[in-house]
Amino acid sequence: MVQNLHEGGANHRLTLRVPGWPGFEPGQFVMLSAGACGSVPRTDPLLPRPMAVYRTRQDAQGTLVDVLYKRTGRGTALLAEALPGQQVGLVGPLGRCFELPGSAERALLVAGGTGIASVYELAARLMPRGDLCVLLGAATAQDLMGVEDFAALGVELQIATDDGSRGFLGQVTRLLEAALAGREPGTSRIYSCGPTGMMRRCAEIAVLRDVPCIVSLENHMACGFGVCLGCAAPLSDGSYALVCRDGPPFDASTIAWQGLP
Amino acid sequence: MSGSNALDTRVDLGGIRLRNPVLTASGTFGYGTEFAPFLDLTRIGGFVAKSLTLEPRIGNPPPRIAEAPSGMLNAISLENVGVDAFIRTKLPAIPAEVVVIASVFETEIERYVEVCKRLDGVDRVAGLELNASCPHVKSGGIEFGQSPTVLAELVRAVRSATRKPLLVKLSPNVTHIAEMARVCEGEGADAIALINSVQALEVDVETCRPLLANGLGGLSGPAIRPIALRMVWQASQAVSIPICGIGGIDNGEDAAKFLLCGATAVQVGTRNYLDPAAALGVVEGLEAWGRRQGAKRLVDLVGTLEMPKS
Repeated sequence: MVQNLHEGGANHRLTLRVPGWPGFEPGQFVMLSAGACGSVPRTDPLLPRPMAVYRTRQDAQGTLVDVLYKRTGRGTALLAEALPGQQVGLVGPLGRCFELPGSAERALLVAGGTGIASVYELAARLMPRGDLCVLLGAATAQDLMGVEDFAALGVELQIATDDGSRGFLGQVTRLLEAALAGREPGTSRIYSCGPTGMMRRCAEIAVLRDVPCIVSLENHMACGFGVCLGCAAPLSDGSYALVCRDGPPFDASTIAWQGLP
Repeated sequence: MSGSNALDTRVDLGGIRLRNPVLTASGTFGYGTEFAPFLDLTRIGGFVAKSLTLEPRIGNPPPRIAEAPSGMLNAISLENVGVDAFIRTKLPAIPAEVVVIASVFETEIERYVEVCKRLDGVDRVAGLELNASCPHVKSGGIEFGQSPTVLAELVRAVRSATRKPLLVKLSPNVTHIAEMARVCEGEGADAIALINSVQALEVDVETCRPLLANGLGGLSGPAIRPIALRMVWQASQAVSIPICGIGGIDNGEDAAKFLLCGATAVQVGTRNYLDPAAALGVVEGLEAWGRRQGAKRLVDLVGTLEMPKS
């Protein structure tokens, strides 16, 4: 652990030096064990936490991996209290990556909560080809993550907060509806990551507007590589997909939303 | 088995010859290939594949897992590819030097027998592990492993259906584990494995609902290790067939405790999720312990716990 910054509210930014990091693609994640913090092995909490790879950087000694997270429970509280120099258990990068948009498609990235961390690298990779718009939502201005990083990319950026403390007053999906207004079907593609309600609304808008929509699901998982079978997501054909192995990104039209926890 | 202080780590688990006593537990190691990026499968004793049923199963709705103090609950309901797909597509992907034990689960004795028959002629399968103890399958009602008479009927039926080494994995959700161990030995099991996960419940006080969609689940991880050690010790006092110890093994010293309590081999379970190379660490730690004990053979340390006489 190189750096572990508190960025206001529940937001934290972790920087890890990861020897042998093989590189990653947008949408992939790592399993982080706060339980491995310090020199004494910890068994409580037992399970690692899945977290999106926010971005990576190179310095003279190798690769630095950035992770944005919120302090929401015991695992992330332990992580938040860990100090630079401590070791963190990491397995990854894991999962599949986002399918990139077609050449004629405008990419609309809609993210809320910790889901914002899942789409930063996608925005960075799409920036050179242009034609993308990033829509970020949160309950309040203080809950937003990574806004300055997106702004620094120079992307078209819109923000919505539930209390109006920053940007549009209301849900980020309203910004999506506005962004799609007047556009022909087949000229846009939605990428969505965040609370289930937000992703589900994006999926509904996508159907109404006849636009492809990719959602990046979050779930509890014990392993992250397809073995514990804990992260099952119900599909509309009655089967289950594993978020870790078959996702996290999914075609929104394949998800049985009413069956998600 | 190299260097000046040579230690023989080989063990015989009811006719399954292992290069060392460290296996990985069914349901925590997939079909083996998932772990190939993380560890050399030929360095561990072998692995027990995910439980197989006659037909594929898709498993329970989510949430399927939940955290517990030093452990986790699961209610996966034995999602698996089915026995035929396992033989056809999963087994050929595993290197020939790796010992593979197939785990079998079903809801009726006749179906258990059919799965075992299909595996009986498959050379790559070193042995069968009968899962008599899954605590979260509604269709089975009471667990097979919870009734001595039902367990006896199951082991007898399967024993007559296979010549392969037969392990029976026992449920911990019983009052007298020694009685269940004796039933298995009496019906011709070559070894017993214990314990499976402990039936458990965890609750969300805000929603007033269980954390798992299924309600009940199986508790695994370090939380159950002392229970497992107690049951292995009790079983070892009751039978002379080999025992495979399971329950919250994280490292070599944990494995050593099971050997002391009478286990000839062990299975690493939940730890594989958090640390996919964990089983290798258990092998190395167990060997280091054997050397510290000054043993020539690891098997000489099995059952050497000095328990006070009661």
